[in-house]
Amino acid sequence: MIDKINGIQNISGVNKANPTQKANDSSNVDFSNMLKEAINDVNNLQKSADKAAVDYSTGKINDVHQVVIAAEKASLSLQLTSQVTNKIIESYKEIMRMQL
Amino acid sequence: MDGLFKSINISASGMSAERFRLNVISQNLANSDTTRTENGDPYRRKIVTFQEVLNGEIGKQKTDFGGVKVSSIEEDTTPFKLVYNPDHPDSNEEGYVRMPNVNVLNEMVDMMTAQRAYDSNAAVVNAAKSMYNSALNIGK
Repeated sequence: MIDKINGIQNISGVNKANPTQKANDSSNVDFSNMLKEAINDVNNLQKSADKAAVDYSTGKINDVHQVVIAAEKASLSLQLTSQVTNKIIESYKEIMRMQL
Repeated sequence: MDGLFKSINISASGMSAERFRLNVISQNLANSDTTRTENGDPYRRKIVTFQEVLNGEIGKQKTDFGGVKVSSIEEDTTPFKLVYNPDHPDSNEEGYVRMPNVNVLNEMVDMMTAQRAYDSNAAVVNAAKSMYNSALNIGK
């Protein structure tokens, strides 16, 4: 997840449009792909939390903390996703409010 | 998963290890009066040893910490206690019974150590969680 956040920072750096540095392909990450990957990561964490709960109830895991930690990880990453989504929607609204 | 989740994973491995240590301690305590095992000797106290886990290629990324794992369960080699009890079925000709080399007081202290270590690992998880939350709060 943290790597993905760094990705956002890279993009905001690109948006500063440094005239001496022309369209560097390597740093030009497609934002939608990046978002998709991040959401996939979050989804995987949710799935592993579900799996941990099932494994615990079926007796495959005997550590309670692993279940709780998996659930906590899923919740934290979901919070991060919703933060990022809120930010995106906020900037979208900001652009839509722009007077032409 | 990198970053703060990694420290949570490391603490989780510590919690698993301490839970396992508690299993061994309870085995020791449960067998503190066991005078007969499969090989005929009294019960020998079990000691668990931990080992550091490093991920990544050997010699390259030594900072890629992976936590801790249980490396082995050893047996305490200190001699058995001899207790005079001629009525006991396992007593020898002189009437002495070999009792396990489990010292209940030591086991209780080990138990408290394991409990505190488990608590401290849980505290690390909570700290990582609150760090993550405060990072999220920057955006609010």
